[in-house]
Amino acid sequence: MTTSLLDVAATVAGRSRRSTLARRAAALGLVALVMFAIVGPLVLSDPAAQDLSRFLEAPTLAEPLGRDDYGRSVLARLAHATRLSLVLAALCVATALVLGCVAGIASAWFGGWVDAVMRAVSEAFVAIPALLVVLLVSALASGGSLWALYLGLALAQWVEYFRVVRARSGLVLGSPAVEAARLLELGPVHIVRRHLWPDLRSLLTTLASLGMVTSILAMSTLGFVKVGLQPPRAELGLMITDSFAFYDVAPWMSIAPIAVLFLLTICFLGLRTSEENR
Amino acid sequence: MTDNSLAVHRAVVRHGATPLADVADLRIDTGRPLTIVGESGSGKSLLAHALMGTLPPELAVEGSMTIGSTRFDLADRSGRRHLWGRRLAMLPQEPALALDPTMLVRGQVAEGAPGWRPGDVAALRLAHEKLDHLGLAHAGSAYPHTLSGGMAQRVAYAAATIGGARLLIVDEPSKGLDPGSLDRLADLLAAHVADGGLLLTITHDLRLARRLGGDVLVMRDASVVEAGPAERVLTTPSTDYTKRLLAAEPSRWSFPWMANAAAADPTAEPLVAAHGITKSYGDTAVFQDVSLEIRPGERWALTGPSGVGKTTLGNALLRLTSVDRGTVGYGDVTRGRLQKLYQDPALSFPGRVPLERAMRDVMRRHGADEARVRSLLGEVGLPLEILSRRPDQVSGGELQRIAIVRAMLPRPVLIFADEATSRLDLLTQETTMDSLMTEVAGSGCALLLVTHDPDLATAVTDHQVRLGQDRSALLEPAV
Repeated sequence: MTTSLLDVAATVAGRSRRSTLARRAAALGLVALVMFAIVGPLVLSDPAAQDLSRFLEAPTLAEPLGRDDYGRSVLARLAHATRLSLVLAALCVATALVLGCVAGIASAWFGGWVDAVMRAVSEAFVAIPALLVVLLVSALASGGSLWALYLGLALAQWVEYFRVVRARSGLVLGSPAVEAARLLELGPVHIVRRHLWPDLRSLLTTLASLGMVTSILAMSTLGFVKVGLQPPRAELGLMITDSFAFYDVAPWMSIAPIAVLFLLTICFLGLRTSEENR
Repeated sequence: MTDNSLAVHRAVVRHGATPLADVADLRIDTGRPLTIVGESGSGKSLLAHALMGTLPPELAVEGSMTIGSTRFDLADRSGRRHLWGRRLAMLPQEPALALDPTMLVRGQVAEGAPGWRPGDVAALRLAHEKLDHLGLAHAGSAYPHTLSGGMAQRVAYAAATIGGARLLIVDEPSKGLDPGSLDRLADLLAAHVADGGLLLTITHDLRLARRLGGDVLVMRDASVVEAGPAERVLTTPSTDYTKRLLAAEPSRWSFPWMANAAAADPTAEPLVAAHGITKSYGDTAVFQDVSLEIRPGERWALTGPSGVGKTTLGNALLRLTSVDRGTVGYGDVTRGRLQKLYQDPALSFPGRVPLERAMRDVMRRHGADEARVRSLLGEVGLPLEILSRRPDQVSGGELQRIAIVRAMLPRPVLIFADEATSRLDLLTQETTMDSLMTEVAGSGCALLLVTHDPDLATAVTDHQVRLGQDRSALLEPAV
C-alpha cells in the first residue's frame, strides 16, 4: 500500500509541474484573445465601412493588418469575428452543458422509462453527424440566422455532455457514499452538491473547453462553405473564403483569421488538465 | 540450483531520512518457513519488496542478502530480475487486482512457465496441470472477475509458482479471505515448504502465522520487536507489544460492553421483521426463505464464507435491496434511524470534499451541534480537527471510526456493520470494534454484524445467522 502511494505521488508531481506551465501559457493567450475580442470592436473602426479607393491596401502602422477587397479594415473585422465566435461558442457550450447535465443526472437518477426515452433521443442525435444537425436546423430557419446557428450547435453538442454525465452519475449514485447519504436522509440537494458536482466538475470543464473548440471550428467550417452566417457579417470562416481569391496579392487577409482560429484552438486545448491532477 | 537457504544480512529501506524498515540477520532454511507479523505501516511489506527488488525508486534501500551461495546487493534493483519466477517469486496483495482482467486464467498462468513463447502448447498444458492440482481445472477457461477471492488467490499462486521458484514471498494473503479459503491457502503454502521450498509470509493474521509454524518475526515501527519459533512467540511472548498484539485477537477480547449483551428485552416489538424472504440473481438463489426478527438492543451476526450472500441479506433487511418473495417490515422506526457501516469506509464518504463539509450536512439534517460531534469523536479517540481533512488523507481505521460517529448522529435504532473491520489489522480492528460497541452499548441500539470471522461474531454478538453454501440460513439464538 505505502509503496504504491509514494510511487503515484511522485510521478503526478513531476507531470503536473510541466502541465501547470503549459496551462498558464494557454490561459495568458486566451486572456489576450478575449481582450482583443472585447476591446477591439469598441476602439476600432466600423468593420463594414467600405472604402473602395483603398482596395487591398498593404499593412501599415495605422492599419496593421491592411485592408480587404472592399477596402474594409481587416483588423476591425477580425476583432468583430473573434467576438462573435467566442460569444456564440460560449452560449452554445453553456446551453449544451446545462441541458446535457440536467438530462444526464435525471436519466441516472430516475432510471426506468425516463432513462430509456433520454437514451433513445441521444442515440438519434449520435446517429447523425454533428455538422449535419447544425445544417438541418440552419436550413429550417432563414439563411444566415444567428439563432439557427446557436440552436443547431447546442443541439449537436448536448449529447456528449448527456452521455458522459449519465455514465458518471450512474457510478456515483450507485456508490456506497450515496447509499449512506440516503440512509442518513440527507436529501437530493446534498447528493448533488457533495457527491455529483465535485465528481463531475473536472469532467465538465474538460468537455467544455473541448466544446468551445468544436463550436468555433464548426461555425467557421459552415462559414467557409458559405452555409453558415452570410456576408457582410465578419466571421472567421467567411473571412478565410473571401480572402482566397487574393492570397497571392494580399496574404495578410487569409493569414489573420487562420492565426486567430489556430490560437483559440491551441489555448482552449491547453487549458485542460488531466483529471487525476485535480 | 542450490537454493537451500536465504540469508538477509541487513536490509534498510528509507524514505528521505525516515527509516521505513530496518532488519538484520534474517534467515530462512528449507522446511522452516518464516512469517513476519505486525500492524499496518510497520514496514513488513516494504521489506518483502526490498528482497524482490520491486521497491519504487523514491525509496532508498541498502543491505545485502544471500540466496544459496550467491550474494546480492539490495541497492541493485535490477540485479535480481533474472531470478523472478525462476528462483524468486512473490504472491502479491489483492490477487484479484494482480490478475489481468482481459485474459483467460489458463493463458495468464501459462505465461510464467519456463521458456514460454506466445501460443506455447506445452506451457498451456503445464498451466492446466498446475490448476488441476489446485482443484481449479474448471476455472482455466474463465475470466478472473468470475472467481471468488479464494479462487483468485489460488490462481495467483499457480501463476507465481509455475516458473518453479523455490523461494516464495507471500504478501498479506489473508486480506478479505474467509476461514475456509485461508485454510486451503495455508495448506498450499505448507505443501510448498514440505516440497523443499523456502517461504516468507507477511501477514497480520495470527491464525495463519500459527498454521504455518516455523519462525515468527514481530515488526513494529520499521524494526523487529521480537523473533523466535512460532510456538513460543505466539503463545508466551516476551515483549509487551507482542502481548498486546495477541490480546487483540477477538477470541481473547474482554471489554465492558461484552457483559450487558443480554440486556435486550425478548418480548419487545421487533424493529425489523423479515418473513420468508428469498432473493436470487438470475437463476442463482442467494438465500431462500429466511425469517428473522431483530428487537431493540439485540446483537446479531450474519456469518458464512465469502460470496454466500451475507451482505445481500443485510441490505435486504435495510430495504437497500429488493427481495423476490417474502416481506420486510419495520416496527415503529422513523426513517433515517437504520444506519450502515461499510467494508471500505473511504467509499462511504463523498471522496472529493473535506469530511467537515459532509459532516455539517448530517449535523444540520439531524439537529446535532458541534459539541455532540466533538464528544462523540472524543469517545472514539479522535480530535475534532481531523474533520478538516479529506477522506483519502485519513487512515482506514480512523475513517471507520468517523463513520461510526456519523452513523450515531441520527440516534439510530439499528446499525448494520458490513465487514466493517475485515480489512483492518488486528490492533486497528480492536480499537474500531471497541469504539463501535461502546457507542452501541451506550445508546442501546441494535447491531447487525456481517463478518466471515467466527471469532469476531462470537465476541461481539449473541445471536447468529449462519448462511451456508446450500442457500440455507441457520439461526443460532443466544447461547
